[in-house]
Amino acid sequence: MTDTRWKRYLIVLIAFAAIPPVLTRMGFLGDFWFETLAKGVALAAMGLALNVVMGYAGQISLGHAALAGVGAFASGVLTAPDRFGLPFFLGALAAMTFAAGIAFLIGLPALRLKGVYLAVATMGFAFAMQESLFRAPFISRGSAGVELPRPLIGTFEFLRAGDYFALVLVLLLLVWVLDTNLTRSKLGRAFQAIRSDETIAASFGVDVTRYKLLAFTISGAIAGLAGAMYGHTVQFINAETFDFDQTIILVIIVVLGGLGSRVGVTSAAAFYVLFPAILVKLFGNKLLGWDFIIGAALLIYTISKHPGGLAEAVRHAREKKAARAVRDAAAGGATHDDTLADVPAMPDMPRPAGLPERTTEATGTALLSARDVTVSFGGLRAVDDVSIDVHRGRIVGLIGPNGAGKTTMFNAMSGALTPDGGRVSLLGRDVSNAPAHVRAALGLGRSFQMIGLARDLSVTENLLLAQHMVAAYGTASALLGLGKAPRIERELRTRAREAIAALGFERYADTPVKNLSHGQQRIVEIACVLVTAPEIVMLDEPSAGMAPAAVEALAQRLHDMRDQLGRTLLVIEHNIPLVLDVCDELYVMNSGQLLAHGDPDEVVKRDEVVGAYLGEMVPA
Amino acid sequence: MAAGAIYGLFAIGVVLVYRGTGAINFAQGEIGTLGLFLAWWSVTEQGLPWIVGAILAIAFAAVVGAGFERFAIRPMVNANRVAIAVATIGFLSLILAFEAKFFSPSPRVLPPPIEGVGVEIAGYFVSPTMWLSFAVVVAVSLGLGVVLRKTDFGLGVLAAAQDPAGARLMGVPFNRVSMFVWGTAAAISALGALLIAPTLGAFAPGFVSLLFLKGLAAAVVGGLGSMSGAIVGGIAVGIIEVWVKDIFGGVTLPGVDVLVVFGVILLVLILRPGGLLAGLKVREAGA
Repeated sequence: MTDTRWKRYLIVLIAFAAIPPVLTRMGFLGDFWFETLAKGVALAAMGLALNVVMGYAGQISLGHAALAGVGAFASGVLTAPDRFGLPFFLGALAAMTFAAGIAFLIGLPALRLKGVYLAVATMGFAFAMQESLFRAPFISRGSAGVELPRPLIGTFEFLRAGDYFALVLVLLLLVWVLDTNLTRSKLGRAFQAIRSDETIAASFGVDVTRYKLLAFTISGAIAGLAGAMYGHTVQFINAETFDFDQTIILVIIVVLGGLGSRVGVTSAAAFYVLFPAILVKLFGNKLLGWDFIIGAALLIYTISKHPGGLAEAVRHAREKKAARAVRDAAAGGATHDDTLADVPAMPDMPRPAGLPERTTEATGTALLSARDVTVSFGGLRAVDDVSIDVHRGRIVGLIGPNGAGKTTMFNAMSGALTPDGGRVSLLGRDVSNAPAHVRAALGLGRSFQMIGLARDLSVTENLLLAQHMVAAYGTASALLGLGKAPRIERELRTRAREAIAALGFERYADTPVKNLSHGQQRIVEIACVLVTAPEIVMLDEPSAGMAPAAVEALAQRLHDMRDQLGRTLLVIEHNIPLVLDVCDELYVMNSGQLLAHGDPDEVVKRDEVVGAYLGEMVPA
Repeated sequence: MAAGAIYGLFAIGVVLVYRGTGAINFAQGEIGTLGLFLAWWSVTEQGLPWIVGAILAIAFAAVVGAGFERFAIRPMVNANRVAIAVATIGFLSLILAFEAKFFSPSPRVLPPPIEGVGVEIAGYFVSPTMWLSFAVVVAVSLGLGVVLRKTDFGLGVLAAAQDPAGARLMGVPFNRVSMFVWGTAAAISALGALLIAPTLGAFAPGFVSLLFLKGLAAAVVGGLGSMSGAIVGGIAVGIIEVWVKDIFGGVTLPGVDVLVVFGVILLVLILRPGGLLAGLKVREAGA
């Protein structure tokens, strides 16, 4: 975090802490308004909590009001004078801990699975709390509820509503700062990648289940704190305070606030609390009930028009304008990027610190070696007993007709799937059962047949995401913006900038990948593979979708990667001239089996290889 | 047990929508409550026979479910499941808000379809309505099973779930399939609500959503994708619920049944994420 940011936060902190107490003493705004504002602030904090799960990580929680309730009851039971009578900050801390712990326990089983299971489990949680535990005698004394005192810090009691409002405002600032740090760290990027596409996130080395769980747990902690803030604001809570309707209100706030936008969510929460209060002051209770109907209708309309949320819709509009500006500037002559006659030089990156030591493989063994690998899908043997060795400093090609099992073999070697039989070793280590992100950390980088980039993220963000494995800092450091995280983040950004400069893509640094041409996406993808300086680079059809002239340039780049960057390559390709141009060694697969192996020029002339490509039945 | 059969019925609705369109309609239960309010109005206020009120309620629910699909879900054909789930949550809140605005929160009572205390079996009274519930659940599940397996349209529904794009290329009228499952699920929800309301006594806004949660749990127990699993899951949830109520009958913790349902969801997710019947089926092939 930069010094100027800290300075700005300090100024806001002082303003938050000073202005409301002064106003309340001068008689501006009565207690009613300060309490309404405090409710809005607490609701905003709850919204920000849900926003982490829904807006960033793209998972639905229907239990956020209940999580806030857990926080409120925890704080209430601990701080109420007739219960435990502990200080406010202990109550708030307990609120965060309890809610985070419960979120973790719910998320553990529910988030292992893809899809809407979290929604189902949290809905069950919400009703279980509302109907049962929040009514339990040992928590709320049945229907009596819990009375929460106004905080007492030292000898100072926050009795004036204005003073209390200043306190919750400062707590909201704390949440805000944590949230900002979160989005600017590898956590935020991992969440966004998961929201964009879980498979692609995993290929970048993100442990998807772990990060979803992390998002839900952090969100639970914030919800717990927010619940405590709300509870101490209204000073009396029971099971109805945090019922299922409240969760729905939070969903409405987060979706209308823009799914992922801090400012949007906070404003929506403030609006939700203030607008009805103003209406009631002006018109009495005549309009009561309509606010919820209007809110719900707006929610349906918004989500069905802009499934990515309002923030995304605004961003799209802005991007379109920017793209038009770029086009207008380039009008008159096509830019070289668009015709792609020229594939830019590939970035040469030193191996970053923070990765596990690379074992030097014993001489004579292959860098990457697959032995007798078998992969079956139901009854179909997609890969049947195939062995491939990739030796250091070579470009090895893998060809074969469609459906030969090339990509499946690739997946087995990179860890995208676990083979049913056989062994895979990487740098002399057995990695047969190691997941993709572990192999990536050992020094294996791969690209995909379809573009394997997070489509909604910019070029810079993708290059940062590609360095996920290298970002060796902890969650706490990331959230607080202290310790290792800021320094490592700066290094990652520098590397990303250098890679973009090497490609000559400065102009597209902040452009979402999906707005680039197919050829440009390919290049960014290869740059993402190279940015962590992997020992071995696996490319799945790098020339797919490239113009013929660009393919020639690509061949030169592949040579550069071997000769100048010292990389070892395993390449799936359909373009035979390209294969013959670049490969030192060639494997041919057909119908899941290895058909031929040897010198490229010799292998492609063999009868069985020619036959396989022409579709003839050739006896093996 | 009778309640379990009803949960199974709700679960069938969940499975139907999930298999047909890959989504979960969180508003499904509450559409049933809306139907209940209509039935109550027809029977109690207008003095119409029970069966007329019931038909009105079911038809109305079907129209509401299908209409929601047509105007909110269909435009989202390219959106992800999260966005669709949010839309259904929005619809749920719209219905809740509507009910809160136009029907007071005070509970209402709908008379049972058949009067009488019923037969005593093993210490429990089984009312005629419960018998009717069993019959209806069996009829609905068998009927749906026949429609899905034996007719071209039904096979289209099953195909659409496996591969929407592929099914469309094969000429399956995807839009009609989608509208059919959303409408049918809503109608089933109203039917379930009509059958269980007399047993539970009074109903108020939000009434069916709590029951729907149990149906959802039943669907999860059954593996979310299987009709027979849904019925088995429903009965399992019903039995566990009665059993727990018996054991903890003396304890003063309110809402134990809901707590248990939540526990069941978590347990199934931990132990058998594919549902109880998952082991019986051949693992699905896929890349």
